[in-house]
Amino acid sequence: MNREGAETYLRLLAEAELRGPMVPARRQPWAGPGGSTARLTAVAQALTAVRALDFETVEDILADFDLAVSVRQRADRFTSGPVGAAVPRPGRLMFPPGKFARSRLVGLSSREPARSTQPGPGPGGPDRLVPVGLTVPYRDESLSGEMFLMAFAHTAAGARFTMVWQTHRRYDPEHGPVHLGMLPFERFTVTDNRGGRYQLDFARSGGPEWAGDVSLRPEPPDDIRWLDISAPDGPVVRVDLDPVAAEAAGGAEPSVTEVKLSPGEHLLVMLAERLLTVAPEFPHALRMQLAAITPGPLHTMATGMGDVIAALEAADVLSPLSPVPGRLAAVCAGMRVSGHGITAPPAQDLPEPWLSLLAHYQRRKPDTVPVRDGYAAVATALPELDGIRLALLGLLNTDGGSWLQVLGRGLESETSRGPFGIDTYFPVSVWIRDSGGRWHACRPASWHRHNGEYVGKLQLVPPLTRSTAWIEVLAAGPSAQVRVQLPLRWRYL
Amino acid sequence: MTDTRNDPWYSCLPSCETQVPCGQGRHIVRWEAGQLRLPEHPDAEAEFVLAALGGGKAGCVVLAEAWGRHTSDLSVLAVGPRGSADEIVVSWQDVEEAAQAGQRGGAVAFSRVRRAPLRRLASPPAPAAGHSARQRQVQAEQERAAERWKDLLSLLALGYGFSVRLAGQVAAAHADSPDATARPALATAVTGRLALVAEQWLGIDPDEVDEVSWHDGPGWGRVELTGTGGERRLRVSLPASWLARVWACGLALIGGHLVVAVDRAGWPDARVLALRAPGAEPVLVDVHAREYDGLDGAAGTPDWEL
Repeated sequence: MNREGAETYLRLLAEAELRGPMVPARRQPWAGPGGSTARLTAVAQALTAVRALDFETVEDILADFDLAVSVRQRADRFTSGPVGAAVPRPGRLMFPPGKFARSRLVGLSSREPARSTQPGPGPGGPDRLVPVGLTVPYRDESLSGEMFLMAFAHTAAGARFTMVWQTHRRYDPEHGPVHLGMLPFERFTVTDNRGGRYQLDFARSGGPEWAGDVSLRPEPPDDIRWLDISAPDGPVVRVDLDPVAAEAAGGAEPSVTEVKLSPGEHLLVMLAERLLTVAPEFPHALRMQLAAITPGPLHTMATGMGDVIAALEAADVLSPLSPVPGRLAAVCAGMRVSGHGITAPPAQDLPEPWLSLLAHYQRRKPDTVPVRDGYAAVATALPELDGIRLALLGLLNTDGGSWLQVLGRGLESETSRGPFGIDTYFPVSVWIRDSGGRWHACRPASWHRHNGEYVGKLQLVPPLTRSTAWIEVLAAGPSAQVRVQLPLRWRYL
Repeated sequence: MTDTRNDPWYSCLPSCETQVPCGQGRHIVRWEAGQLRLPEHPDAEAEFVLAALGGGKAGCVVLAEAWGRHTSDLSVLAVGPRGSADEIVVSWQDVEEAAQAGQRGGAVAFSRVRRAPLRRLASPPAPAAGHSARQRQVQAEQERAAERWKDLLSLLALGYGFSVRLAGQVAAAHADSPDATARPALATAVTGRLALVAEQWLGIDPDEVDEVSWHDGPGWGRVELTGTGGERRLRVSLPASWLARVWACGLALIGGHLVVAVDRAGWPDARVLALRAPGAEPVLVDVHAREYDGLDGAAGTPDWEL
């Protein structure tokens, strides 16, 4: 790692960007600060993501840059030509945030891990993962619905079910259809084979609002054999936690393969996959054919990719001989992303999942009929990948989307903002191949933290288009990848 | 070539002065022989002591303190002027408004072009006790940032002449043995300034100037132009002292020559080692400073001629 090279690269880039504001001195057009800082921000984020630079150094550099730009801005420089994101008051200094970025202002989006306020043990401890696949009905005088249990997980952080629920609309003669809101999970009763009683605490984890997990309170013993769950006056549904039965329902043993990605290559892989999974952020009409539309709607996303690659090389976290920049260039070409500045020619040897997704986008008549709403009970722990342990706790099709319920341990609570919207807090590449041979990228959708563990959902891009009989899960980090095939048994909502 | 390393870096720089707000009026502030002087505060040392004990500070004293805090601050090089044509306009009204904004609310007051934070914390606000400690920490950082901001603005408000002299002082402070923490900022400062000089010298795009490398050892370094068209690059290796001894003294480009070193320092006459073209052998030339009105800080550095 060449930290000095990384810092010098970032500073020189800032210096080059600053030449824009020196318009009178250089008699050249300048588009304003908004456009000129996109490359700088992307490089800064990339260098912090690979830990070539620390936050403080980068924030100092950017603060100085912001001040340098501000003291060079005058009203007459903004009277012609396009103006960037910020427009100063005429004749006055525009005060940038500068050093105030050091105030550790934090952003918390709904897609990144959020921590509960409960204290608890750290990651680790014995795991008990059981696929469930049972429905617990609820009905009273004003509400009816079901809780569908996908999987049970008892880890160091506690015991929980991943689940999806639904309520049924009533018709009010005066006000029309009425949606009745959430199931009252607090009214469900849970008992174990020893007579222990528990309450259910619901927590959303992003994605569809009717999916999440319910925790058992208090935490049950490790060796209970079953749990009986029922709504008031409803049938008792027994959840068998027998580990033998659970193993029988699981798939093959995961296979682990060593890979050797440098930090820079890993970041570029995440960047490529970010491009490949950007579809959900576009209107539905555009999603399916992003790569077939002219002009490409993604071209503005790519500003600074070439600079990021050069910066990673300057930091010695990316070899100039690496094939990954060429693969990223190929993804850009396939997605009709221009203006990226990548000098490597597009590579031919793209990973099979990337090719599958590109083919999906380039299909002129892609599948447009979503699969029927349902879920598959899955409960599988993947081997540790670069310090991160993932457990898969259910696959859900609903509302035109597909979601993989995941329990994560070893994820960092504080991360840098990745360039180009990369989810740096989830530095694992996860793909699913369905029984029809199509690959689906799994992008982090939303998380909540519970006692040091993260429960969340990965959104499949594209969604499943059929109730696949099995899936192959491919998860990869910088030093290893895991493959596991899981049979699925679907239950419909 | 004469060894000038023992000469002060500013030997080719005359004094300069300007007026700054102080109390109800304006006072002269002067830079002379590497020092900032307050001629209208003859017992400035006593005023510093009084201020340290909680007494009121005169505007000139506040400014001198700010100068002292930044004589080795590499941010001065990142923010300050790259050349006489690099127009920076900061008025004393701007400084006052920045100070008031900092007192009102720090970051909130400076929020016009807020950049998204690089760091994100995967947690909601902590419980009350931790939250208030965090708030205090943030508040303290904001106050320090506001003070630093005001410092830099007030130093820029002194005008180009003072800014370039402060830059020279900062560069000189790090030039003898730049460590790993200073090298990136110094290399960038030299490269950025040399790129603009090269644009004037050769008519090339500043982006075609590679990062300047440090020349350490006998001789003056190297300047060569390689490639053609889009592949053209200017590769330069110079001593770390170039920024202070040459550029800050206004000697970088004289009569179509790139000055790479000072052979005999002095003002208004000096002898420099200069290049007519990349790859050529440098020659010693005598240079003379045209008439210079140092009474206005904006006047900057002397205008040298062969």
